[in-house]
Amino acid sequence: MIELWQLSKKFGNFHAVKEVTLQVPPGEIFGFLGPNGAGKTTTIRMLVGLIKPTSGRALLCGKDIIQEPEEAKSLLGYIPDRPFLYEKLTGLEFLEFIAELHGLDSGRLRQKRVEELLDFFDLKEWDRELIESYSHGMRQRLILAAALVHYPKVLIVDEPMIGLDPKGGRLVKRLFSELAKSGVAIFMSTHILEIAEVMCQRIAIINEGRVIALGTMPELREKAQTADERLEPLFLKLTGQEEMGRLGEDFRG
Amino acid sequence: MPTWLILLRPKIISLKHRLQQPHRGSRIRFLALAGLAVGFWVLTFWTFQRVLVYFRSVELFGDLLASKLMGMILLTFFSVLLFSNIISSLSTFFLAEDLNLFIPRPVSWNRLFYARLAETTTHSSWMVLLFGLPVFLAYGWVYRVSIHYYLILALAVIPFLVIPAALGTIFSMFLVNVFPARRTKDVLFLLSIFLVVMLYFLLRFLQPERLVHPESFAGLVDYMTALNAPSSPFLPSFWAAEALLPFYQDHQAPSGFLIGLLWSTAGAMTIFGNWASRALYFAGWTRSQEARRTRLRQRNWIGGFLRFGTSFLNFKMRALALKDGKVFFRDTSQWSQLILLAALVVVYLYNFGLLPLDKSPLPTFFLQNLISFLNMGLAGFVLSAISVRFVFPAVSLEGDSFWIIRSSPITLRSFLWSKFWTNLLPLLILAEILIILSNSFLQVTTFMMLLSSVTLFFMTFGIVALGVGLGALYPRFKVESAAQIASGFGGMLYMILSMSFIGAVVLLEAWPVYALFMAEFQQRTLSVFAWAGIVLSFLGVAILNILAVIIPMRLGLKRIAEMDF
Repeated sequence: MIELWQLSKKFGNFHAVKEVTLQVPPGEIFGFLGPNGAGKTTTIRMLVGLIKPTSGRALLCGKDIIQEPEEAKSLLGYIPDRPFLYEKLTGLEFLEFIAELHGLDSGRLRQKRVEELLDFFDLKEWDRELIESYSHGMRQRLILAAALVHYPKVLIVDEPMIGLDPKGGRLVKRLFSELAKSGVAIFMSTHILEIAEVMCQRIAIINEGRVIALGTMPELREKAQTADERLEPLFLKLTGQEEMGRLGEDFRG
Repeated sequence: MPTWLILLRPKIISLKHRLQQPHRGSRIRFLALAGLAVGFWVLTFWTFQRVLVYFRSVELFGDLLASKLMGMILLTFFSVLLFSNIISSLSTFFLAEDLNLFIPRPVSWNRLFYARLAETTTHSSWMVLLFGLPVFLAYGWVYRVSIHYYLILALAVIPFLVIPAALGTIFSMFLVNVFPARRTKDVLFLLSIFLVVMLYFLLRFLQPERLVHPESFAGLVDYMTALNAPSSPFLPSFWAAEALLPFYQDHQAPSGFLIGLLWSTAGAMTIFGNWASRALYFAGWTRSQEARRTRLRQRNWIGGFLRFGTSFLNFKMRALALKDGKVFFRDTSQWSQLILLAALVVVYLYNFGLLPLDKSPLPTFFLQNLISFLNMGLAGFVLSAISVRFVFPAVSLEGDSFWIIRSSPITLRSFLWSKFWTNLLPLLILAEILIILSNSFLQVTTFMMLLSSVTLFFMTFGIVALGVGLGALYPRFKVESAAQIASGFGGMLYMILSMSFIGAVVLLEAWPVYALFMAEFQQRTLSVFAWAGIVLSFLGVAILNILAVIIPMRLGLKRIAEMDF
């Protein structure tokens, strides 16, 4: 369960996130959409404890990320948009390190889990190579593996498809559905509207730091007062970017 | 605007913006750095001016000495420039991120070469130029030269900087076509470390202090042989020196030919560089883009050593320590510094073996123990210098990967203390080696041996905590190399605070040690008040040590806890 209560963040005079309140129950894949600079990444960074909220609370399975960081983070798997890793570790060492940080102290169980993930994400062949020699897609797959090494109850994902090839993309879609079925709450920010449309049960749209729409696809359509089945025109209408949709027509003359 | 200049514009504009952008504490930082630079300038100018005035006062061969010195300085500059240009050109031509932006654009290889050559020259030359200027000015000042000297100096310096840049670039073009760029950089980095160590040993073991006493040499020939520096008429440093020397010898021989030689060589080298670039650059660039697969052995002795050395830590802290250890020993720019460190320790101990205690008018017993006492401060200074390079950057080196720690279920307290313990252990061993061996050379009393080794043992806790704490208080996550992290404002503040801490400990112990020594020397017993004073002083040392551990660690922890990442 993921809960955000009146979550806000100010950077100086700039209000990046304004009183965001929403809940994601176990087993749900929740889409968090918004134009560039809307406050998606800031919200996620507060949710995983990378930055401190100016006000409000973020709870993971009832544990406050600021008040009980260790307990909350032990339930969390986080996949950032930029795959910064320890370049001088091998993929295997990195996963073992993350497992140890999460307290998986039984050597055999840890090794089994790590190998299972390396296999699943097609990294077995590269497990003893330094990360500095990995491609962008391999790094992204390694981060995915690291997020799952400790069987998280909550998965927070910032742009999951960046850098993945079609095979990797399909793998992630299947994996997320399986995880949701097993009761993991998934909070996912993405720019790729088709993915949100297909994968998410509910979607929130954030614009200028404020959640302007939240609900299932039919609920969003109703809010936008449109009969269009697709998410893209709906998203553009709700975020006031309809002229972007017409831009293509202008280019074509 | 020429294309090669357009290619340099982003760098120039970025620099301008960085200078204009206000930062937290930037004014203090700027003033501190400016103060340090001016201080260095004044000190260099003053030292050279004193040396040159002394040389001028030496009859017959004073001017010759000044000329030799200039030749040696220019040769050193040339060698340093050549080496740093090879390393710098590997970065600017093959490893820089922005090359991905330029190479797919319609920019000719010629233009790209000239732009990158200008960048390489600037990168590797500004420091030599900055620190060389007070030397040239001191020469001008002492020899009361005419304005022509400065004109010739300016005309000589520009090609003198361009020649090694072009040569270094040509060399790296060949190197990258043989080895992968990253590996080449590692190898060159290691070589440069060895070069510095060799130079350091050479200078130290030559005992340059003997040159101040020419009477210790059999004759003029021996003295001049000791001063002899390798020089060749085919080296640009020789031409530059020869162009400047007439100004120090009161006769203004025309320098036109030598200046012409410098400029024409610089021009020719640039053109040769361009040819080499056309023939080799793209192939080398392609090679540098290939991923280097380095399959590591599952178990190795460093891994075993790290596992043993961290076995006293709890599970999560041990995982962090093992990760830090592996990263350190796999990064050439990091572990190679250990070679420099070893050289520093050897020379430090060698110096103690050379001390002419028997020539002092003070009793040897007294002097030995006095020096041993001062040695505590000196060893503390050595530890601080090492810490600023290895301990202070510990937090910053997490870099962009700090998100992994921040989103993991490990408290920042455990994170920071793991940095403390993993750095403390090697430094404690080093501290005790330094103090016990140097005291053995000095043959000090058992009391002094015990006192200094115990004091330094506890002082190391403070030195390391200051390093970790201030490193967390002034982190630089966006800087890649540890050397850069240490050279910032935080590093400077660390050195000041660490030195003050060491100074305070030594001062607090000075009086009780003196009182105890005098009592033993004069065969008398100490009063109760004296004993109380001694106890109070040592208590003060204990409190100071505790504060030096607690305060910086708390402040550092508070800072990273509040930091938005």
